[in-house]
Amino acid sequence: MNDVVTGFKWVGTRPIRPDGVPKVTGRAMYGADLAMAGALVGRILRSPHAHARIRSIDTSKAAALPGVKAVITAADFPDHKFEYVGPERVAVNFWHVTRNVMAREKALYEGHAVAAVAATDAATAEEALSLIQVDYEVLPHVIDVDEAMRPDAPLLFEDMITRGVEPTPTKPSNISKRLEFQIGDLDAGFAQADFVIEKEFKTAAVHQGYIEPHATIARVDADGQAEIWASSQGHFVVRALTAKLLGMNVGDLRVTPAEIGGGFGGKTVVYLEPVAALLSKKTGRPVKITMTRDEVFKATGPTSGSSMWVKMGVTKDGKITAADGIFRFQAGAFPGSPVMNACLCAFAPYAIDNARSVGYDVVCNRPKSAAYRAPGSPISAFAVESVIDMLAKKIGMDPLELRRKNAATVGTTMIYGPKLAHGGYLETVEALLNHPAYKAPLGKNQGRGVASGYWFNGGGESSASVQINADGTVLVATGSPDIGGSRASMALMAAETFGVDYSQVRAIVADTASIGYTHVTGGSRVTFATGMAVVDTCKKLISDLRARAAMIWGVDVEGVIWEDGHAKPAGSNVGDFTPLSLKEIAGKSALTGGPLTAAASVNAGGVAPGFATQFCDVEVDPETGKVTVLRFVAAQDVGRAIHPSYVEGQIQGGVTQGIGWALNEEYIYDKQGRLDNAGFLDYRCPVASDVPMIDTVLVEVPNPAHPFGAKGVGEVNIVPPMAAIANAIENAVHRRMTELPMSPPKVRAALDNGGAD
Amino acid sequence: MAVTPARVVLSSGFSRRYTGGVREFEVEAKILRDVIKEMDRRYPGLGEHLEEETTVAIDGEIHEVAYYQPIRQGCEVFFIPKLEGG
Repeated sequence: MNDVVTGFKWVGTRPIRPDGVPKVTGRAMYGADLAMAGALVGRILRSPHAHARIRSIDTSKAAALPGVKAVITAADFPDHKFEYVGPERVAVNFWHVTRNVMAREKALYEGHAVAAVAATDAATAEEALSLIQVDYEVLPHVIDVDEAMRPDAPLLFEDMITRGVEPTPTKPSNISKRLEFQIGDLDAGFAQADFVIEKEFKTAAVHQGYIEPHATIARVDADGQAEIWASSQGHFVVRALTAKLLGMNVGDLRVTPAEIGGGFGGKTVVYLEPVAALLSKKTGRPVKITMTRDEVFKATGPTSGSSMWVKMGVTKDGKITAADGIFRFQAGAFPGSPVMNACLCAFAPYAIDNARSVGYDVVCNRPKSAAYRAPGSPISAFAVESVIDMLAKKIGMDPLELRRKNAATVGTTMIYGPKLAHGGYLETVEALLNHPAYKAPLGKNQGRGVASGYWFNGGGESSASVQINADGTVLVATGSPDIGGSRASMALMAAETFGVDYSQVRAIVADTASIGYTHVTGGSRVTFATGMAVVDTCKKLISDLRARAAMIWGVDVEGVIWEDGHAKPAGSNVGDFTPLSLKEIAGKSALTGGPLTAAASVNAGGVAPGFATQFCDVEVDPETGKVTVLRFVAAQDVGRAIHPSYVEGQIQGGVTQGIGWALNEEYIYDKQGRLDNAGFLDYRCPVASDVPMIDTVLVEVPNPAHPFGAKGVGEVNIVPPMAAIANAIENAVHRRMTELPMSPPKVRAALDNGGAD
Repeated sequence: MAVTPARVVLSSGFSRRYTGGVREFEVEAKILRDVIKEMDRRYPGLGEHLEEETTVAIDGEIHEVAYYQPIRQGCEVFFIPKLEGG
């Protein structure tokens, strides 16, 4: 454990981002920008049906087309045993994973990959797809989670028996799993309440909406050595999954992450990479595959749509005595929705002695869900934070005061059992209570809403290596793809640790063969865990630098200290030596022992969770139902902001995504289960003109486990916005919106129907 | 001097699957490896499930399951389902 140091020179400053120039001049190398001599174009044939048995696939005509070098189907991939391995939520059942990459017995969603070709050019590849003959037996489909749970629903897997239910059900269903978490005594808790409110909610599935579609280029040589470049948040996971799916050794596959145009969790899994690698293996040439936006919507994981029920009880002086919730989540075509996270996060900001959350993971005919920024937590928070608002109104208490009164603090028992070890939530509530705009007056059809949120954040395995060049410049390499400014923050932490100027430090992302294993960039883990690895590496080098100075001076290393970027004698008794700068020592590295380089890896623990509290002001246009966000204030406990501009950017980004989730984003299907709005024109994400300047309030309650006190910041900010906006709409026009998105037709309908709760 | 054992708790789903529903245990240990080995001794095969499928909260502090995590006397060791983010 480290002492948390204050009074920094670099940590907390705002230098220009290192990736800025390449990005604004269009020179940054994204996945689709990579080219290789002799590369073929890969294209994927996708099911036009939401649910169909695949009776046969005839690829002969496609294979015979001049210019086509290979055609593959699932038959070309090894099959995998049906076995759930490892973490509960993530569908690491390779029987499922391989079938999502390429369909076998059935096509389970419109867009499901059924075959792939590699050809000399895009037009030939496209024509080849049209020559592949697939004999489908179209089956009835089901998409909505409530409909998928019905006993008479069409089944995606005829042998799916719900896990987590006792006694084990005899009839198959689309319910992959049931989970339950509980503390205390619900009946006693509700009996203590003066008021009990229960409500049902529904949310539509939304996509992560990254601006850069998936892209990859793969090269498998005749000796079995392979390289992949991919737009990915986790190149080590790409390596592991691709190797496993193709039956390769991990050590024979080298993956390099390209510059990435957004991921938000959606790029922590593989879609194209195993396909491109297999096509490359068969053709003996590199194969490049990029997705169109249409394919991104139809074939990559959105988050879950949901159907929820929440019941909470409160005393008239504002103590929440009990909470109960049922959360039903769409997993998509294969099991693995984030419903467990939803159950664990739903009530987490609060100290509630009697609480239960029940979750259902339900398969349905749409793309398999993938992680999306604090997966699961924003969805259950929409329901819970709406009900808390209703409780506050019932007892006539300010919604921030109600939250303050029930705030979780160090020692609060969490619904999954352990006691909370970190504070920070209360500080976010108090920051808003003291915010000048919280009491600002509002006009007609305007309202203010409050909501809070919780996210675990992550730790885990990360690696770093550092080199000191002969001219004193420092190179920091890590295994963390940069999706939110981590290169800048690694350089800041290294500069701070060495005591050298930030401009002397450059941070890069290394490929899987050049750096130790590093888990994905996601889960708000990189500044925390990879930051630790970087600082540990710098400290190893500082020991070496002291030893080099000791050798130069001819003294014991114990007599040398490191301070302000210089080796100095520990005291006058050591000798009268002029301090040596990092640059000066580096200049003599060959004389004193060789290159100055070190590496370190961590399996980071002591993670502190993220807490966020937000309020927003909206105006509802009663004629059109359009909701305009006038003001948005987001407070978050960030531990320590290493580069405050990036931290503010993360908060603004998450809030903006939450605004889209709240007001406009949804998947619209036709009667055949095909997606009607597979593009940004009709799948409406917010653009700059849709949102006000988002006011960020950084609260710093340092985490002592991190050398600079940092906590993960990327995700928790997307948890409160939907409920904050729903609560603001209720405050404005006295209509309780219980379905997302709260798009103009829905708001208009609510206004027409009259009456609120 | 008597050693105060650590209080080890499993989540209800995990305990239903692997320990017949028994959730709470007392284990003497200095590091987490000792806890895993002792649980594996009492329920053969349990050790691997603990290593592969859980995250651990030691007195509330969340950590990856790792052998070297120090276990103070009398502390609470809670094995919770492994968590993932996005």
